[in-house]
Amino acid sequence: MSTSGKDIVSLFYALIKAVQVYDINNDVVQNAGKKFIYYIDTLLNIYSQIELIRYRDYIFFNKQRLRFEIDGYASLQFIHDKLKKLRIKSLTLSPGIDKDEMIIFASIIKEEEDEFHKKISDTKFDNIHIEFSTDEEEKPDFMQDGARIKRSYFKALRVTKNLMQNLWTKQPVDVKSTKRIVYSLIDALSEDELGLLALTTIKNFDEYTFNHSLNVGVLSLALGQRIGLPKKSLAALCTAGLLHDIGKVEISKDLIYKSGKLTEEEWETLKRHSDYGVREVLKARGLDEMGLISLTVAYQHHWNYDGTGYPGRIKKEDPLLFSKIVRICDSYDAMTTPRVYQPIPYLPHYAVRIIWQLRNVWFDPVLAKVFIQLLGLYPVGNLVKLNTGEIAVVVRQNQGNFALPMIKVILDKKEEKIDGNIMDLRAEKEIKIVKSIYPQKYGINPSSYFV
Amino acid sequence: MIVSGVDDIIKSLIRAVKSIQMYGVKHPSSKNFYDPFYEKLSDYLKKHAELNLEIEQFAILHSGRTVYEEREKDVSIAFRLFRDGIRSLRFTQGLTFDELLSFLGTIAMVAKDLDIVLRLWECDLLHINFYVVEEEEEQAMDYKVPEVPVVNIDYESKVREIIEKENIDINDVIKPELASGELDYLKTEISVVEKTPLLPTVITTLISLLKIDQSRDIINSLVVLLERCVDNRDFYNARRIVHHLRENTDIDPMEKFENERTIMGSHSLINTSSGEIFNEFIAFIGLFSKKSVPYFLKLLSYIDRPERLLALRSRIASIAQDDVALMKNFLDSDDITMLINVIAILNLMKADNIIALLRPLFSHPNPDVRSEIISVLANDFHPGVIAQFLDDESSYVRIKALRALTKMKYSRVYTKLFQKVTSREFRSLELAEQQEYFNCLVTNGAEKLTKDLEKILFKWMLFGHKKYSAVRKLAATALAYVDTEDALAILRKGLKKRNRHIKSACEIALRQK
Repeated sequence: MSTSGKDIVSLFYALIKAVQVYDINNDVVQNAGKKFIYYIDTLLNIYSQIELIRYRDYIFFNKQRLRFEIDGYASLQFIHDKLKKLRIKSLTLSPGIDKDEMIIFASIIKEEEDEFHKKISDTKFDNIHIEFSTDEEEKPDFMQDGARIKRSYFKALRVTKNLMQNLWTKQPVDVKSTKRIVYSLIDALSEDELGLLALTTIKNFDEYTFNHSLNVGVLSLALGQRIGLPKKSLAALCTAGLLHDIGKVEISKDLIYKSGKLTEEEWETLKRHSDYGVREVLKARGLDEMGLISLTVAYQHHWNYDGTGYPGRIKKEDPLLFSKIVRICDSYDAMTTPRVYQPIPYLPHYAVRIIWQLRNVWFDPVLAKVFIQLLGLYPVGNLVKLNTGEIAVVVRQNQGNFALPMIKVILDKKEEKIDGNIMDLRAEKEIKIVKSIYPQKYGINPSSYFV
Repeated sequence: MIVSGVDDIIKSLIRAVKSIQMYGVKHPSSKNFYDPFYEKLSDYLKKHAELNLEIEQFAILHSGRTVYEEREKDVSIAFRLFRDGIRSLRFTQGLTFDELLSFLGTIAMVAKDLDIVLRLWECDLLHINFYVVEEEEEQAMDYKVPEVPVVNIDYESKVREIIEKENIDINDVIKPELASGELDYLKTEISVVEKTPLLPTVITTLISLLKIDQSRDIINSLVVLLERCVDNRDFYNARRIVHHLRENTDIDPMEKFENERTIMGSHSLINTSSGEIFNEFIAFIGLFSKKSVPYFLKLLSYIDRPERLLALRSRIASIAQDDVALMKNFLDSDDITMLINVIAILNLMKADNIIALLRPLFSHPNPDVRSEIISVLANDFHPGVIAQFLDDESSYVRIKALRALTKMKYSRVYTKLFQKVTSREFRSLELAEQQEYFNCLVTNGAEKLTKDLEKILFKWMLFGHKKYSAVRKLAATALAYVDTEDALAILRKGLKKRNRHIKSACEIALRQK
């Protein structure tokens, strides 16, 4: 997150919280106001004005998107929700703003919607400009938008496929394309994290390995960003996610795509993909920084949190943070993807429950929690039955409320396909999720709602 | 909207890039160009918040108007950006000088295979955004969502089956909120990623694999990492690699290090302030073969600290595998430092025929060499041979010999020592050497010692009595050190003597006792 943006949000949050509790003349409020203005004055030496914009589910500080990271999450979430509730599209602070003006504004913004609108129209602010969004603008636009994100995703899919096919056929590998696509995915993630995550619902039965690799790369990237990894580490993590299963190119396709139960010997052969992965990463990436991380992750991505897993460890080595992240993302995507030996996969909701259940056993408990925060209890693409009898697909997570996502109704009570509304379950108090259901039952591919 | 000043900014940009290409970023001439560029751009951003530029194949446009055009591919900045896929650039308020410098440094680079986009991405510029198109983007978008056929199975039992198989507790309340300790854990994990070198982990992984997979990829990678470890002075991991490569393969990874250039290249290492690195280095060079000995002998002359000199000599003895014949080749060296080191190493090797080997050097013109020989002789217990050095012309060598004999308690040297001490020449020696003589005399003397010391103490002198007073003092001190009834009686007797030198020497000796 931009440091200035992050600091403004947290100071603004502190000021609103102060006016919620104390009178505006109280020292606590006055000090919070002073701190806020002092910081704003510093920034106004650099910027001509300070602008906070709410767009989609994100807050932008002077056109830079502020990322939801674990550190500073609460304040950003609060400011976002507040602006959304009050339908504020942008807030601009101009030079000349002083402490008193800011404290008065904070005391108004703390109010509920009706009271806020009444007070704000009665008060004149010289240096604070508010722009409200129209009803049209309040409609979620992420279903029609995000062409650039989709381009990045599909380009990445093509690059991943080429990379693995080249390794399969022992052709030279195009490292530059892989590097570029990783950075492009990072950009896409900064643009719309949830939009990119939605694309991981794309599960191609015939091209499982490529889709799976990319999805693990994207999920790892999102989890890495959420815990606050710097950009360079994100690039390494994403590359490692893309390459985690690369060792499978050394295993016969007959075995990889075998539909029946594997013999013990076959299972042992399949497990060697972690070993082979090291060799393949060496071929594909060499020993540059990203290569070192990728080969380590390829080797460790089946190491469990409790010390079990394969390949065996020489000492009681701890897996790399990146390996722990990929361990979770790999398991989640593998569980939720149809494969030859698992044509009906696990529903995302149950995969999330398994990750919760196996925290401390297979998965790092803290990372598992962040992963669940990221995906929600009902991840994007999960089909749910509502108490209204309708069936909906989860289209987006609500930041900060992992159990109440945004959904789109796709089947009516009679189970007939409809192009229903998008609903925010945080706002629709009467609508409840009854259970998760299989899209295969209705011949629905959830990813069709995002592509 | 066409904004005045953009042309000027672009001109500044081009000048700054050209200057950096010619002189590099750090050159003062370049500074004369990029400083004004930063100034102009910052002023612009303060007024307009952002500057958007579109990139065409040979031109840069602002609001649809060409502000730069250069059709010569080799020099065109527009072409360089366009070639890598950049289609627009955006500078925003808050731009820092460092960001701008990274940007200029990157786009000024002229390497043919350089990917500017990748470099710019890696710079992570917060206030310079760029839009990039990838090749085949349209093709990439041509994706059809696969159809999912309706599968008629009992989904309720499928869910029940999964719940049972995975033992899922569907009533378990999921609470993914993080406690503050968990936040700290994440911060620590991230800082570990940023600060801990990955190489040891990678080496462990490759070593584990090497046991089951001796493929070229694994072996070559370990060899490359070995070089990297040596470059990084990580000798612990370097040793691990060598050990495992030797154990599991028939290649000798050390071969490439066993040359003069590499070994002499480590001369700064032997004086490193880190004791740990030095010790690891010493352990690592234990893996070298005999053929590297000549270079290590040269390296020894660079070492500053005596204890490290000892450690490295000892390590060379081990590298030479106690091959005395090998070391003998260096005994005719003109390089005194090397010769001394070779003698010292032979000493450590405990060669059988050490006297025969060194005898030709007994009369070596350099006293340091003769002194080192005494060390070897002392170590091998040859006091009789050491005694020969009491006649050496150098006081330094004689003192060394005396000290060696003092330690060795060689009574057969007593007579020679007594003769020396009672000789006229003795009085002309430096006090330090005289003291060593008396120390040696006391250590190696037997029944006659007390009587002889009495003789020296009470010797009647007509001439040269002043010089002799120092000898009396040393004799008195020696008697006090002997500390027998007879010796003390002599000292007490001396107190009654009229000779003030004798009296004073005895008084001091008895006081010191």
